[in-house]
Amino acid sequence: MNAIIQNLSTPSHLPTTEEDELKGYGNLDEMGRIKGMQIPRVPDPTAFLNLYTDSMSSNPEAKIKLAHGTTTLAFRFKGGIIVAVDSRATAGSYIASGTVKKVIEINPYLLGTMAGGAADCQYWETYLGMRCRLYELRNKERISVAAASKILSNIVYGYKGRGLSMGTMICGWDKTGPALFYVDSEGQRLKGDLFSVGSGSTFAYGVLDQGYSYDLSDEEAQELGRRSIIAAGHRDAFSGNTCNLYHVRENGWEFIGNYDVSQQWYEYEAKKKAAREAASSEMAVEV
Amino acid sequence: MEYNGGSVVAMIGKDCVAIASDLRLGQQSVGVAMNFDKVFPVNDKLYYGLPGLATDVYTLREQLRFRVNMYRMKEEREITPKTFTHLVSSTLYEKRFGPYFIEPVVAGLPSPTELDPHPKPFISTMDTIGCITTPKDFAVAGTASNKLFGVAEGLWEPDLEPEDLFETISQTLLNAVDRDALSGWGAIVHVITHDKVITRQLRARMD
Amino acid sequence: MTLLAQSPMSLHDTYAAPVEHRFNPYSENGGTILAIAGADFSVIAGDTRQSEGYSIQTRYARKVFQLTDNAVLATNGFAADGKNFVRRLKQSLEWYQHNHHKQMGLKAIARLIQTMLYGRRFFPYYVYNILGGIEEDGSGAVYSFDPVGSYEREACRAAGAAQALVQPFLDNQIYFKNQQPEPGAEPFVPGRLPLSTVLGLVVDSFTSATERHIEVGDGIEIFIVMAKGRSPESLLDEKLGEGMTIEEVPPVGEGGEERTFLLSGPLKRD
Repeated sequence: MNAIIQNLSTPSHLPTTEEDELKGYGNLDEMGRIKGMQIPRVPDPTAFLNLYTDSMSSNPEAKIKLAHGTTTLAFRFKGGIIVAVDSRATAGSYIASGTVKKVIEINPYLLGTMAGGAADCQYWETYLGMRCRLYELRNKERISVAAASKILSNIVYGYKGRGLSMGTMICGWDKTGPALFYVDSEGQRLKGDLFSVGSGSTFAYGVLDQGYSYDLSDEEAQELGRRSIIAAGHRDAFSGNTCNLYHVRENGWEFIGNYDVSQQWYEYEAKKKAAREAASSEMAVEV
Repeated sequence: MEYNGGSVVAMIGKDCVAIASDLRLGQQSVGVAMNFDKVFPVNDKLYYGLPGLATDVYTLREQLRFRVNMYRMKEEREITPKTFTHLVSSTLYEKRFGPYFIEPVVAGLPSPTELDPHPKPFISTMDTIGCITTPKDFAVAGTASNKLFGVAEGLWEPDLEPEDLFETISQTLLNAVDRDALSGWGAIVHVITHDKVITRQLRARMD
Repeated sequence: MTLLAQSPMSLHDTYAAPVEHRFNPYSENGGTILAIAGADFSVIAGDTRQSEGYSIQTRYARKVFQLTDNAVLATNGFAADGKNFVRRLKQSLEWYQHNHHKQMGLKAIARLIQTMLYGRRFFPYYVYNILGGIEEDGSGAVYSFDPVGSYEREACRAAGAAQALVQPFLDNQIYFKNQQPEPGAEPFVPGRLPLSTVLGLVVDSFTSATERHIEVGDGIEIFIVMAKGRSPESLLDEKLGEGMTIEEVPPVGEGGEERTFLLSGPLKRD
């Protein structure tokens, strides 16, 4: 008991540096590392991991199937940032889930998207939320999107080559206005206006690029994000089920809605058909 | 099998059989066509489905069309489901060491004969080199085969009337392909009865 | 750990293919687990067969474990990892109870499982977990996990050897996927099915999986966690399947108002 009291009352045990402050928080141990983060005692732990997991999609025969396949996108425009994602997780050709939340609500002003290893994104972005809150308490102001994304990027860079797999977009609104960063597990960190990540990203880019302009209205921008995810969900076997749409504005993010990809696709087709019929009846009148 | 994707299921009912397939043709993860029917008629009492590698679907379909026509001319009668199954099987076994990547499913209603005035509905399935199984309930094949097995085992029951059989096979197919990334993109169902064949396209999930 | 053992040179002056030995810490022990959440109950089930390849190691190995008075965990994959994981988790929960004089809530257990699994990100526990129980607001809940800790709250989930067989059936029967209500009839609301219907579906799922998957069978254990205020009489009145028995599982701690029951019965043994 004396030892405990001593520990609590000794000033030397009060946090002095940022690293010290993190000790003992959440699942971190006294050394500031993840408690019990075990590494197999083999000559090449990364090769070992790749042998048993398909985290890099390089080994489809692996026993441990991790959730994969995705379409996510985010773009900056005058009204803020649109974030749209699908909700499918696949293990091989099996659709493991159709209700994945691929937008991670880091805090009321920050969103992160999820592509690659589901656990890697979920875990580290939750942890990022903790770091952002600490920053807020320490500095009495919100963290910038640039700083938040750099915390994440620095963390995953520390694990580079170990087999983490994540491609994420950190979206938020800070003093500089709407900001969007792409961060991945290779250590890449890019600032930009428009990104799409995942197996369906090429399809999403196709729709996105032809409809994108910085001056889009809120409704137009939301529709563009939604339409791009529906297109990708339709064509890409590993994307689909539903689309989750978010809009980041000055006062934080807002969840716009959840849309069934298949239902939306049928609606778009019906609209196309109606437009075609209207056009052909006009032609008939002209003749 | 996984290159183009696709699945087929067949079920036995009371004096009827049903066979259904999805309509997706893909190139691995990319969907290419949503009208790729994998079920073909031999005559109005006999249908077969060919899920697997699309190029082999065409080759095998033409090969079988040729052989069935030759059979018809020589024998001057329609081929029975059982005989047709053996014809498919031997066609596959010819390519024992370089097989067609297809797992066929056959579904038919044999016509009554003097020897067998009340023939039972017939379904069969084969592996890629022609090893036949003739189930008494349902047959499945393709990339969603394990999912189809699970749902069919839960939904199917003996002696279903044509309309109930249609509902059962439709629900089985739709729910199975919705858990398979490589199948789906539309579905088609054929229910074969003694007096007609009911063919319906289903409104399936398009992702 | 990688060793290359070469066989002696043969008479024909050729080498036999080198035999590679490597550290293989994982095995796959088959079986299937399943959980369904209701409005004020949660059902967590598993079969009892444990196998390796084509051999059955035992016909009775538990895969579903009571954690607290309102949480039950089903674990599937590599049995040794599963056992070890459950043991460590139970210890964590016990320490929590000593420190806080209360049992950990379901939501917190879910997050604990995530951190425990992610702690082994580079040497994963080869286990698929499904956590079922009663949330603090009294609703039934199911959480499903991948081996390295990504998780999600759902209304129903199947995992393990026969997940591909069972899950689409559940999509159809629990979520009413691809079904439309009769014109004028009440619309379907997932997650609001009565307990008797859910139990029927669970038993059907396992008999189907037993029929079509060699790694599933022998026995079934169904844990039912009931929220406070729910009368268990409806459960005891259920027309149970042949050979089914039911017992109340004693509470882990002081005993809250939630009650846990264990329904067990036989599955085909072939």
